[in-house]
Amino acid sequence: MSTTVDSDLTVAWDITVDDAPVALSARGDLVAVAGAEGTVRVLDAAMGAEVGALELPSGALSVELAPDAGHLAVTGPLEYALWRRADGRTTVREPGAWSAAAAWADPGRVAVASGRRALVLDADGEELWRTDPAASTVTDLAWLRQGRRLAVAAYGAVHGHERHTPKPVVTYPYVGSHLALAVAPTGKWICSGNQDASIHIWRTRDGSELTMSGYSEKVSRLAFDDTGFWLAADGAPDVTVWDFSGKGPAGTAPRSLRCHETVTALAWRPGNGGHLASGSADGTVALWYATAGRPQQRLSPARELPADGAAVAALTWAGPHLLIAAYRDGRVRAYGVPSRTAL
Amino acid sequence: MTTTTEPRDERVPVTVLTGFLGSGKTTLLNRILTENHGLRVAVIENEFGEVGIDDALVLDAEEEIFEMNNGCICCTVRGDLIRILGALMRRREKFDHILIETTGLADPAPVAQTFFMDDEIAAQLRLDAIVTLVDAAHVLQHLDEVKPEGVENEAVEQIAFADRLVLNKTDLADEESVGEVIRRVRAINSGVRIIPAQHAEIDLQQVLDVGAFDLERVLADDPSFLTETEHQHDTTVTSVGIDLPGELDENKLNAWLGTLLRTKGVDIFRSKGILALAGTPRQYVFQGVHMLLDGQFGRDWRDGEERRNRLVFIGRNLDRQALERDFAACLATAGAVA
Repeated sequence: MSTTVDSDLTVAWDITVDDAPVALSARGDLVAVAGAEGTVRVLDAAMGAEVGALELPSGALSVELAPDAGHLAVTGPLEYALWRRADGRTTVREPGAWSAAAAWADPGRVAVASGRRALVLDADGEELWRTDPAASTVTDLAWLRQGRRLAVAAYGAVHGHERHTPKPVVTYPYVGSHLALAVAPTGKWICSGNQDASIHIWRTRDGSELTMSGYSEKVSRLAFDDTGFWLAADGAPDVTVWDFSGKGPAGTAPRSLRCHETVTALAWRPGNGGHLASGSADGTVALWYATAGRPQQRLSPARELPADGAAVAALTWAGPHLLIAAYRDGRVRAYGVPSRTAL
Repeated sequence: MTTTTEPRDERVPVTVLTGFLGSGKTTLLNRILTENHGLRVAVIENEFGEVGIDDALVLDAEEEIFEMNNGCICCTVRGDLIRILGALMRRREKFDHILIETTGLADPAPVAQTFFMDDEIAAQLRLDAIVTLVDAAHVLQHLDEVKPEGVENEAVEQIAFADRLVLNKTDLADEESVGEVIRRVRAINSGVRIIPAQHAEIDLQQVLDVGAFDLERVLADDPSFLTETEHQHDTTVTSVGIDLPGELDENKLNAWLGTLLRTKGVDIFRSKGILALAGTPRQYVFQGVHMLLDGQFGRDWRDGEERRNRLVFIGRNLDRQALERDFAACLATAGAVA
């Protein structure tokens, strides 16, 4: 079985960028690659041809294409920048503050972390509103309620902000350093990965909370699948996958995905098939039927893409049939996954 | 000195530079950045420095202290450093050395604890040494400053944490007060290596890549590690060194150290030791910062070498007699070892 599946997998394109990639984003027909030293390449997802390029002088930390692929936001240690596809215009803002993340509410509005605040900008970079400072540098952002409420993670709490109210409208406190934020597409759950090697979970309806502890390392990558029923997390050699359907994961055990020593990337395949891609420090990319089996079960990968030495820096799907992997040595490779139901 | 062939530690060494404003940190930093030592150095500054060297990467940071819960252990780490070091290590360009300059008021503990608590950092970077600069002419007044209840005297703390102490501006203080400074420093941190200097002019090899947090190198490079201290009844922060021949019962040791660090960890700034455990041919080496401890087996005891235990605690209100007594109770009695 595996041999026929293997022969179906193709390398759609393979390029090398002159930087160490740190982040990928794919929307519509575009893929963006951001490097640690600040170079950003915008590529045509189908062929890998360059569509645009920009640069952040202080380096890049994250990159996010707008949902319609009409704009791009890139953030870095001292600046952030916006790029417009129509004419390639780039606007670089240099507040001198750590900008960890960006999140698009819709094609016209993007939230950008800037030091201890989050700024909400229009697609060309004009500021619409900003939050009051959080307790520490903002670590991650996510939108709720169809882009009407912004969740902001920092030390000690996740805050919910709404337009033109700098003070949070809701606070989800938990003493700890929240590193990553994931909001279920159902809107029911807010999850944060924590420096103290736990996942903290709030039910948005009533703020009731839950802590998943027992991880061996900090949890810095969290991702919900499209259904919002499944959450994948790092924090251990095994990727853990929690079931958020029904009443949620309280009292349950996750599935454990055993392949890596150090997980460096997670990306759910678009759709409801429960297909997950994970990457590791040794360069391996694993593909999983991540929701198969039973809770507490240890799963093996459906397939492994061989490592070439360099660590996997980021993974993303450009639609259900193209998995993009960026490696620390600058290689960016697109794998074609032809079957919708198989990996 | 004997050297054994060990696997080379490929992790990038990190030096932490502490000291009050005016102690000469910026001067030393500039020397490190400009002197022709062939190292590519990245600097993380917590103080708006005047440092601006073309070839060096200088990053500004604002101190963000995070409390972290780790089971029953509660400690603090530096969120800003986790963030910045993480981003630094993702760059393609590799650094030979990283230098963290803290503010004069900074507590070194969260900096050191960051290297114990974050696996991603510990995998790629190693804390090399905490280097404290003091101004020979002014440090006494900082040490004598009376702080409100519960507030730490930062000068005392920085000296207590130091692996290397640069006694700067000796030209601006008379011999007698330099002697007094050395006496006071030794009373707090008996084992620290003191490097007298003027205009921060020191041999950089004395502060860079010295391996003070390297368990294997603790004793080899640090003969003064356990210099017996005079009893100092006038200071609350002192060092207690213990040197006891014999072999230890591992279970008793674990129980004692665990309880000690859990109950007294707030007051114990640093601990380190090289121990002889009953039933193992290798030395056991450990390093601790407050309640965090990192221990591993070191080299083999040599033929004919006396099995002995050497350890030191630096901290506040240490009860020397209790430490000596309770540690001695961890010895394996002849009958207990099969």
